[in-house]
Amino acid sequence: VDHARMRQDDQAAMSDHRKYMRILKLDEAEIRSRRAFFKLTDEDLTRLAALRPFAEKVTDGIVEEFYALLLGHPDTLQFFGDDATIRRVKRTQREYFLQLFSGRCDAAYVEDRLRVGAAHERIGLAPKWYLGAYRQYLSLILDALHVELSSEEEIREAFRSIQRIVFFDVALAIDTYIAANLDAIGRHQAAIRELSTPVIRVYDRVLLLPLVGAIDSHRAHQVMESVLLNVVEAQAKCIIIDIAGVPVVDTRVADHLLKTTAAVRLLGAQTVLTGITAQVARTMVQLGVDVSTMHTVSRLSDGIELALGIVGKAITAIAPAAPAAPLVQAPPQGTGA
Amino acid sequence: MIRGQIPILRIGPTLLATVHIELRDAVAEAFQADVLTTIEKTGATGLLIDISGLDMVDSYVARIVAETGRMAKLMGTSTVLVGMRPEVAATLIRMGYEMAGVKTALNVDDGLELLGHVLPTRSR
Repeated sequence: VDHARMRQDDQAAMSDHRKYMRILKLDEAEIRSRRAFFKLTDEDLTRLAALRPFAEKVTDGIVEEFYALLLGHPDTLQFFGDDATIRRVKRTQREYFLQLFSGRCDAAYVEDRLRVGAAHERIGLAPKWYLGAYRQYLSLILDALHVELSSEEEIREAFRSIQRIVFFDVALAIDTYIAANLDAIGRHQAAIRELSTPVIRVYDRVLLLPLVGAIDSHRAHQVMESVLLNVVEAQAKCIIIDIAGVPVVDTRVADHLLKTTAAVRLLGAQTVLTGITAQVARTMVQLGVDVSTMHTVSRLSDGIELALGIVGKAITAIAPAAPAAPLVQAPPQGTGA
Repeated sequence: MIRGQIPILRIGPTLLATVHIELRDAVAEAFQADVLTTIEKTGATGLLIDISGLDMVDSYVARIVAETGRMAKLMGTSTVLVGMRPEVAATLIRMGYEMAGVKTALNVDDGLELLGHVLPTRSR
């Protein structure tokens, strides 16, 4: 079961980093542009490839030291489970380290870096640890260069090339985090959009739109669109908009509601605004918002009665409620002409 | 002027004009003239302008319609604009064109009702 789930996770991760590449528009031109800005030249790549024997020699030591930092801090330690996991990530780390000295920096390289970034994002490793770990990397590499290389000039040039590719990698990693967040925000916005305008048919030709949550201009636009479509589709003579669940009703929100009312009127229908609390009433008057073109009431039930009146119906009690009636069934309430 | 392009039907005391082609300059003016002449001839008390066939109404057309309504009013005829599409309403409001003073209805039935034209039997 675990194995199957891991494979599933791997597949999810695989599609994730491809998706992030699309979000970040990481095509050949973008990679060229990034490389130019990071001054990561072909010469650097050749130098890095030439440093491969050095890398192979020092990789074990550097990876050990690298994990000494990660495993020595309580916040990063929790990301590593048992010894098997640690052995596995060390092996992956060695591969990663050696790839810095592969001498290539193409789409495949970038995709691989994004895959690594996506894997870290997925387990919830915050960018601060990522950046901190890179600092350790650079410091360990510089120490190793001082041990392995003889001339100062050689060390400086080697370190400059390493810095360039490491920073190139860091940018990709941070971008992966941002792309993952953008992706999540996009999904949440879609979910909110679907939930934001539930139009309910209260009665023949009477609709109700309960608005819950803040209304920004994007949502206001959607509300209007949805209201108009539903009014025409249901040939509704009246739509009740209940704003009891809207936390802040300022001039902008009021303006959106007025525009919606005006548009509904153009269709030949009317709007009833309900759920106006004392607070909202006070704000509206203090802000000088004129909503006299709308029918407004405080309670939704009053709004429903008003709306039914517009379609020529009324709610009436069919029998007087007996005070000592057994509490088996509430007296049925009906609507009649 | 290209008159007679937009049919104007008479239903009892009410006129029904169904706009099904784009109201462009000459056509719009011809339409206005047609409507007013027909009112003069028939003495109709109500005018329904059905624009359910239009998927685009610009400020020019909106102005012509509002203007025709005001002219008809001078002749004692009430005008009701009928069947505006949702996207048309949204666009007009976004342009700041609320068409105040023009009566509206969802469909011809509602429009006739608004004019006080009693229909024989209603299932609703």
